[in-house]
Amino acid sequence: MNSLDFSIVAQAWPYLWSGLLFSLSLTAAAFAIGMVLGTCLALVQHFEIRGLAQIVRGYVALIRSIPLILVLFWFFFLVPIVLGHLSGSGRPVPIGATATAFITFELFEAAYYSEIIRVGLRAVNKGQFEASQALALSTYDTYRHIVLPQVFRVASPIILSQTIILFQDTSLVYVLSLTDLLGAASKLAQLNGRLVEMYLFVAVVYLALSSAASQCVAILRKRYAVAAAHR
Amino acid sequence: MPHQTISNSGQPAAIVVENVVKRYGAFAALNDINLEVGKGEKIVLCGPSGSGKSTLIRCINHIERHDGGRIVVDGVELTGRIADINSVRCEVGMVFQSFNLFPHLTVAENCMLAPMKVRGISRSEARDRALSLLRKVRIQDQADKYPAQLSGGQQQRVAIARALCMQPKIMLFDEPTSALDPEMVKEVLETMVGLARDGMTMVCVTHEMGFAREVADRVVFMDRGSIVEEAAPETFFQAPRTERARSFLNQIIH
Repeated sequence: MNSLDFSIVAQAWPYLWSGLLFSLSLTAAAFAIGMVLGTCLALVQHFEIRGLAQIVRGYVALIRSIPLILVLFWFFFLVPIVLGHLSGSGRPVPIGATATAFITFELFEAAYYSEIIRVGLRAVNKGQFEASQALALSTYDTYRHIVLPQVFRVASPIILSQTIILFQDTSLVYVLSLTDLLGAASKLAQLNGRLVEMYLFVAVVYLALSSAASQCVAILRKRYAVAAAHR
Repeated sequence: MPHQTISNSGQPAAIVVENVVKRYGAFAALNDINLEVGKGEKIVLCGPSGSGKSTLIRCINHIERHDGGRIVVDGVELTGRIADINSVRCEVGMVFQSFNLFPHLTVAENCMLAPMKVRGISRSEARDRALSLLRKVRIQDQADKYPAQLSGGQQQRVAIARALCMQPKIMLFDEPTSALDPEMVKEVLETMVGLARDGMTMVCVTHEMGFAREVADRVVFMDRGSIVEEAAPETFFQAPRTERARSFLNQIIH
């Protein structure tokens, strides 16, 4: 076997970079939309909104019990058929691989984030609600300014951990023939035969990004622990 | 329209509690309570734990809902209508045993939030008001710290300032010194005495007898959900009429 030649990585960098950008933008979108949607799902359950709460519970249980890769498949193959039926033409309405990836990841992550936030909502001290009531704050202001900021703060280490998993899971888009960081490396490795260098480099990138994020988790955890100890 | 209820003394009453009942399942936490608090009057509520004193003051600002009878606060009856509940809560400040400051907001922000959101005043006006009330409780130099950075006594004084920022007519205190280390009790009581001197209508659940002697117009003794005895502090402490009050006083004096 030839000795390792990492110059191949430098040549491949523009393509790898575009793959990394796709991974990062998918992560960012799934995080942002997933958090907003997840917070709504959590609040629906928290307030026990009649009818809706049961549906949300079913949705979260369903999403959490099937692998992401299966959800991607379903979405890609089934939703166009369903849309076709709904539109009345009977012909499938394709939604494209990229849209499938973004929508699926956002809906999938929303279920996971909602579980984290739901637990966080239950952890907020009863006294916080009573103090808000005593000050005549409306339910909206209580949740917007008192309860949710504390939930996000307490849950931030877990939310960030989930987001690291999400970042790694973006590699699953290869089933839709989309090119993320891992997909880009894999394609180039097939072309130039430098599998070891390419996969080593990609591993280092995942390691660097994920461990940087893990460091953030550790810092957040520590900061929160200190704040809690002082209370 | 709000109607005025005239108390026995001829003064319009700040709080009227009539035949109030509160049940938790089969357990009667409040059993036919009648109490009137005149404007500017200071009441100390005491009694053994589980006697219903905290439940009673929590009904006055509707943190607990009463199951029977009437509660009229500053002319507004608490019927369960949101508008009435909110207008009562605007006029009634409350201080809790466990402070219940908002841990993610600074001391000043704790004091500013409700006046801005509920009273609709501007941020700069809210800050000015917060700082002047923090000065009043002698803690203005901590305005930009977080609650966790303060001692218990300081936190409780912030809680008092936070309630005062809503410019309430009535203040409720639910065992405000019970969670404090002994050396911090005094600073909180002094703040409360100052408030009493300013003419605030106050209902305090507390076992601090020195405070009761100094500021209370009446001591109300509760046991098992009922008011057992009401008297001026000197009378109550020196010559309690009922056996239950006597045994309670013996226990807290040791």
